[in-house]
Amino acid sequence: MALAYTLGLRALSLVGVLFVVLLLVVVTLGATGFSDRMLTAIVSEEMRGTRQALAETIKDPERLEETLRERRAELEEFYGLDRPWYTRLPAMVGRVLTLDLGAARNLRSFDGSSRVTDIVLERVPYSIMLVTTSLVITAVIGLWLGAKLATRVGTRSDRLTSYLAAASNALPAWWAGILLILVLSFQLRIFPSGGLYSSPPPEGGLLRFMDLMWHAALPILTLVLVSVGAWTYVVRTMLLNTAQEFHVTAARARGLPEGQVMRRHILRVAAPPIATNIILALTGSIGGAILTETVFNWPGMGRLYFDAITTADEAVIVALTFLFTLMYITARFVLEVLYVVLDPRVRYTAQ
Amino acid sequence: MRPGEALRVVLRSGSGRLGMGLLAVLVLVSVLVPFFYPLDFGLRFWNNPIAWADNPKAAPPAWTNLLGDTAPRHRVFDAEQPTGTIDAGSARIRQFAFTFSHQTVEPPTFLSVSIGAVTFHERPPILSMTLTRPDGRSATLLQEAVRGLRPDETSPVTRFADEPRRVYLTGDAAALGAAADFLLREFDLRTSGTELQGRLEEVLFSMPTGEGVDSLAPLNGEYTATIRVITYDPRDSVQSVRFVAAGGVYGLMGTDTQGRDLATGLLFGFPVALLIGVLTSVAATILGTFFGILSGFSGGRTDTIIQRVSDVMTNIPLLPILIFLIFVLGQKLWLVMTILVIFGWPGLTIILRSMVLQVRSGQLVEATQALGASRWRIMFRHVFFQMAPFIVAQMIFFTPAAILAEAGLSFLGLGDPSLPTWGQILEQGFRTGAIFIGYWWWILPPGILIVITAMTFVLLALAMEPVLNPRLRERAA
Repeated sequence: MALAYTLGLRALSLVGVLFVVLLLVVVTLGATGFSDRMLTAIVSEEMRGTRQALAETIKDPERLEETLRERRAELEEFYGLDRPWYTRLPAMVGRVLTLDLGAARNLRSFDGSSRVTDIVLERVPYSIMLVTTSLVITAVIGLWLGAKLATRVGTRSDRLTSYLAAASNALPAWWAGILLILVLSFQLRIFPSGGLYSSPPPEGGLLRFMDLMWHAALPILTLVLVSVGAWTYVVRTMLLNTAQEFHVTAARARGLPEGQVMRRHILRVAAPPIATNIILALTGSIGGAILTETVFNWPGMGRLYFDAITTADEAVIVALTFLFTLMYITARFVLEVLYVVLDPRVRYTAQ
Repeated sequence: MRPGEALRVVLRSGSGRLGMGLLAVLVLVSVLVPFFYPLDFGLRFWNNPIAWADNPKAAPPAWTNLLGDTAPRHRVFDAEQPTGTIDAGSARIRQFAFTFSHQTVEPPTFLSVSIGAVTFHERPPILSMTLTRPDGRSATLLQEAVRGLRPDETSPVTRFADEPRRVYLTGDAAALGAAADFLLREFDLRTSGTELQGRLEEVLFSMPTGEGVDSLAPLNGEYTATIRVITYDPRDSVQSVRFVAAGGVYGLMGTDTQGRDLATGLLFGFPVALLIGVLTSVAATILGTFFGILSGFSGGRTDTIIQRVSDVMTNIPLLPILIFLIFVLGQKLWLVMTILVIFGWPGLTIILRSMVLQVRSGQLVEATQALGASRWRIMFRHVFFQMAPFIVAQMIFFTPAAILAEAGLSFLGLGDPSLPTWGQILEQGFRTGAIFIGYWWWILPPGILIVITAMTFVLLALAMEPVLNPRLRERAA
């Protein structure tokens, strides 16, 4: 019960964040006249269809124009274009929520659809694949290396990691990606410089998968490279703090094997603060993913952002901003759940 | 700890010394650049293709020649006074002779002639340009008359005053025709101007060794370009003349595909980057400190509101919102900085509030209260000063984040076009496909500068740690 209450509270607060972002987006769009432009585009698109349909039945050109004018006025009233922008705020929020943003100006989905929903949603899996894979790899390396370093504090490798972790704060993911392309793709020609598959893509499920992995290697390596240092450092420091506590000494005094002390008495206790740091690092990794996809021409949401900016596709940018926030908040909620599971104290305070 | 003492602690560590050294260089360059650059550099020069027309396109830095590549040097000759004058009756021939030594296999990448502000009274002057080769042969590549008086004009007339008359010989049909004539006359080679398209320098700076224009041996030695301006009235004048034999390498940092001198753009990026980082972090820190102390001290509803707002703000992913707002509201640097400040302060506020709560319940504050000190005095003298080193460290730590956020935004193509930044230079290189062609001099330096600048502040933050954590200080001493 207490668990559900705590999580409910967190979920509510995150939904609040989502709502604030939505409001920010919609008010900005309305106040700058962007939403007028977008709705006009939607109306024009519907009118094109209507004109074609009506041209079949109404032969008299004057009557056709008259009917079309009426239809247009109806549509404009329906979308609220005849009223000031703030009166249609709720409708616009609903529109963004359901990604019902009409047609993109120039961008098309892989099979040629111009609906914003189609274009944006088909990119989501590619982004999630990139971010989660690199996150898992980073986590595994970070936990393993951090635990290792915590046992040998002050050695050269420990100090080196601390410095590298600090340095990675100054290394943007996209720049690391460019360096990797220059060295591994342009000079040594080991990896492809971008894209999803070779052209033409190889036949057969396994070969195709291997090809995909080969193309994903550099972007994933980039994302791991820029975040693994900070992860390792956080894990190491947290473990170190915990290792100095009395219960660890007590566990050792009881003669427990070192591996067990590490797993049950240090790692387990240090897990919540480590999770907190991961939650805080999430914003950075979302931003990193946007830029990394751009560098590697990886057809995810980040690359779509770049293309949408290039072609000034307003509706796509609005949809992406919303989706990225949604993705971030979902990820954040998952981590909050994890946190509550890891730290029993949170459950008790809630009661 | 007093500031001087803190500085000494920072300077004791290697990272502190390195960080301070780098910071000194950054500040020095940033202070010097505004003296030598016009403030509208971005619009008037950087994003104005005319300003860079006479530079070679996508040329690597000049020092790459030291590594064994043999590309010709970039040569620009400007003159205001003629090197010789010949009077023939009423006509006066002003000669501008420019001699240069050509010692590389590769010919110049292009040739161009520019003539500025010609004033004449009756007959329009005639312009010509002749290239004389080391073997004594010469070709007249340009011969044209300045446009005469129009019916609505009265003598004297000045032409090319706003923009010089520039002839890009390499792509000029008349120059190519003249080169074809030259080959026929001197070497009995029959070609045509269209056949020589894009090969003007190649044939002019070489000797034919066989039948066609495909077997050529480079001809090295002294070349002279003579530009003649013939005027017919003693009062006529010509203001300036320029001849360019474009090189295959250029300057300290090379050029991009528009011929822009990358060194100037990169130098201009110094003050801009520092401005973004420092102004943003200072503003965000001031706001964060103010609200943090206020929140921790006042409690009650003020506290709740500030904490709620901060909580929401820190939960918003920055880059997507930044992209969205800049796209909708316009690509302005001050807007980027404002948004970074608005989303930057809440993190500090949350941390400071918890610190204030700790300090507030301490005996020091209690004692000061008992002495009758006012709330503001306690807040400022005792709470703020205790946390000052931490606040400074946070400010330093936020600086690279701001610089990197702007660079990332520019990299997506949302940079402010009136102020070139390193991120924008990188973005243009990336968009042009410079990484896939191997234009490393366009891609590496801006990125390295971004990383070094961000690293400067990271190193300083690292060196601040013993100031914050007295236990570490003892170990260091």
